[in-house]
Amino acid sequence: MSSNESDNDLVKASRETPAESGGISRRGFIGASVAGGASTVLPAVAFGTSNPRSDNRRPGSTPPSAEKMEREVGSSIPPAAVHTVRRAASDLMVQVLRDLEIEYVALNPGSSFEGLQESLINYGDRPNHMPEVISAMHEGAAVDMAHGYGRSEGKPMCALLQGTVGLQNASMAIYQAYHGHTPMIILAGNDENNFLKVHTGEDIAGLVRPYTKWDAQPETLEETLVALQEAYRQSITPPCAPTLVVLNSEIQKEEAGDLQVPRYSAPVVNGISKGQADAIAKSLLNADNPHISVGRLRSEDGIKSAVTLAELVGASVDSMATFGPMSFPQRHPLVGPGADKNYDYHLGLEIAAADLSITGPHLKAVTGRDAAGIGFGWKEDPNLRRRPTPKTLITEDAEASLPLIISAVEKRLTDSLRDSIAARMKVHKANNHSFRFSSLEKSIERKRPGWNGTPVSLARMYAELWPMIKDLDWCLASPSNFTGRHHRELWDHDKPYSYLGQYPAAALGYCLGASAGAALAAKDRDRIVINIQGDGDFNFMPGTIWSAVHHQLPMLTIMHNNRAWHMELMYVQYMAGVRGRGTDRAHIGTTFRNPYINYAKLAEGYGMKSEGPISGPVEMVAALQRGVDSVKRGEPYLIDVLTQPR
Amino acid sequence: MSRHWKPFPTTLCVIGLSLLLSATVVDDAFGNDSTNAGDEQGIGKQLYYDHGCYACHGYNGIGKHNIANDVSGIMSSEEIYLTFLRARSELNPPLPSQKMPHYPESSLSNAKALQIYAYIKTFKDTPPEVDDASALKAILDSAQERESQELSDP
Repeated sequence: MSSNESDNDLVKASRETPAESGGISRRGFIGASVAGGASTVLPAVAFGTSNPRSDNRRPGSTPPSAEKMEREVGSSIPPAAVHTVRRAASDLMVQVLRDLEIEYVALNPGSSFEGLQESLINYGDRPNHMPEVISAMHEGAAVDMAHGYGRSEGKPMCALLQGTVGLQNASMAIYQAYHGHTPMIILAGNDENNFLKVHTGEDIAGLVRPYTKWDAQPETLEETLVALQEAYRQSITPPCAPTLVVLNSEIQKEEAGDLQVPRYSAPVVNGISKGQADAIAKSLLNADNPHISVGRLRSEDGIKSAVTLAELVGASVDSMATFGPMSFPQRHPLVGPGADKNYDYHLGLEIAAADLSITGPHLKAVTGRDAAGIGFGWKEDPNLRRRPTPKTLITEDAEASLPLIISAVEKRLTDSLRDSIAARMKVHKANNHSFRFSSLEKSIERKRPGWNGTPVSLARMYAELWPMIKDLDWCLASPSNFTGRHHRELWDHDKPYSYLGQYPAAALGYCLGASAGAALAAKDRDRIVINIQGDGDFNFMPGTIWSAVHHQLPMLTIMHNNRAWHMELMYVQYMAGVRGRGTDRAHIGTTFRNPYINYAKLAEGYGMKSEGPISGPVEMVAALQRGVDSVKRGEPYLIDVLTQPR
Repeated sequence: MSRHWKPFPTTLCVIGLSLLLSATVVDDAFGNDSTNAGDEQGIGKQLYYDHGCYACHGYNGIGKHNIANDVSGIMSSEEIYLTFLRARSELNPPLPSQKMPHYPESSLSNAKALQIYAYIKTFKDTPPEVDDASALKAILDSAQERESQELSDP
């Protein structure tokens, strides 16, 4: 038998049906497409189905063979010839990811995707590049990395997870990314022949289906390649969200033969109609004092379009750039109340506004995925509570709509209009300048109390850091709701990624992973990432420190070390007070005492340069400068700062 | 005056007794001042810490709610302070809250409450003027420079 014939036979054997092989069935290809209601539903892939398989097949209960047992515990490796292929199926999967410009795949290794992992590190002229494998110490950290990257760049990276156990470890992070409307692709290996049956399942995507937008479980290599492309399309199409592809372990190891990577077609994102754009352009140009509110757009292109529109029509603007990513530059001269706060036309882009709002479909529109009827709630954004109710609400993507509005405005602009708009903009700029400077002066007055106090005040931490980073390209990746949000007033948020925003699902354990993901985005872009890191959050997945060192991420971690899960401490104190039982035991279960945790030593153990604990402001300032200098060189750094609680 | 309020001389006696009996060690990881745990201020500091006052008011009276420098009207007299401490259980619903807890006398005696009061009264914050805080001055100067540049742009 020739080697080719031998290979073909082996490939054929690996593709036998369950009945033929007497083994466990390959999972059905389950593709739960987005349900109706969302205006941007993509054409369903032919192999998709909205329901988990209904047959009663279960993973087999046959005891593992001695050979399988030995392999699982690392005592033996599979016979070399078994999966010798000329063109590995998983190479094509990597090629799909490469074509989609996926930069990174974060993973915690498992026994269901060694085929793909081997391709990731060895395939192509420049192996382990686009995508590059990122070692994560926990599946939640892998997903948090993809989350931070996605919020920073507005496009997906991948997290590769091990079967049922990896998905469950990652589930909270996926939940958070879903609520963050963050694009990412989750890949979950599933090895139905694995002797650890608890790592497999008939429909493992069901574990996270209620909080992923789309998933698929392809049965063939061809379907797998299509599914990967569809996962990308679904993820970046509003409403953006994590998507999931379950990768059959055996398919990864198949011979691809002459199969080619299918052509990728980018999604068409719906915007408003031309008629609607004309009407909006007319309203903006007819107004004497138009105002535009800008929420979170999808990408830098959207921000550029919003700036173009505001400048074309001479509108004053309010921005959400200090609340999260992808909004209008905070210090643009048009940002502020403008000449007069009595606006006669108020347009909202991905945010509510008095007259008309264009807001893309919400994930609430993606229905039919909560088969168990869990009925997850949604977190109201406290920053949006006081927004007006729009007279007109158009549920279309604002970013996709902007080019049409700009075009309609340009067609209507006359010399006379241009002159009046230029005059209006001049007044806006002067008034906004005056408003912003007086606001800053007031803010700075509020930062002075406790300036020289020990432990360090959080206002001083943010204030001292700003002069050190203001001339750098920076990203604040950590949520600031527990640290006083001082950056909002003191720093300039002019980049799409200046601030990545709050915890989307208010779930801790996110900061380190998300900051590492943002630092992955920053790494080759001459950017640094600031992570002002709560101690409670840190202790969920501290191993990410090692990942940051291993991959040389430009991430400065400054501990907000108040030695507590502080909000909960206050909750327990309050409850003890209501019940009249005293607050002197409220620290039980809410604080880190006996012993205190030394984060600098912990970081040192993971190989990260670090210093602390520091409680004096003068010492902190010097440490901050050393930290900034370190990350500028691409070397992550941690400073343990003992701070005031809030 | 709160019905829990005790005449001042009695309070002083209680404080004195406490001083004699107490030799606590301040469990304050952040403490780096010269306060001695055994003196009145040290006892007040310990109580301020044990009862979690620092959680909202900071270790030096500057925090989520500032109380240093006698800025709070609640601290204007012992009577007002005690009345405020004792009158909060019916004011707030029992929901998760970061509001000021209720302190009934059963959980915090008047004597201890006044030791905390005395400790809080020692909080003096003397922040620098903006011109003397280099970071704040740099932020203002930078903003001024940027805004002026933008205004001069055509």
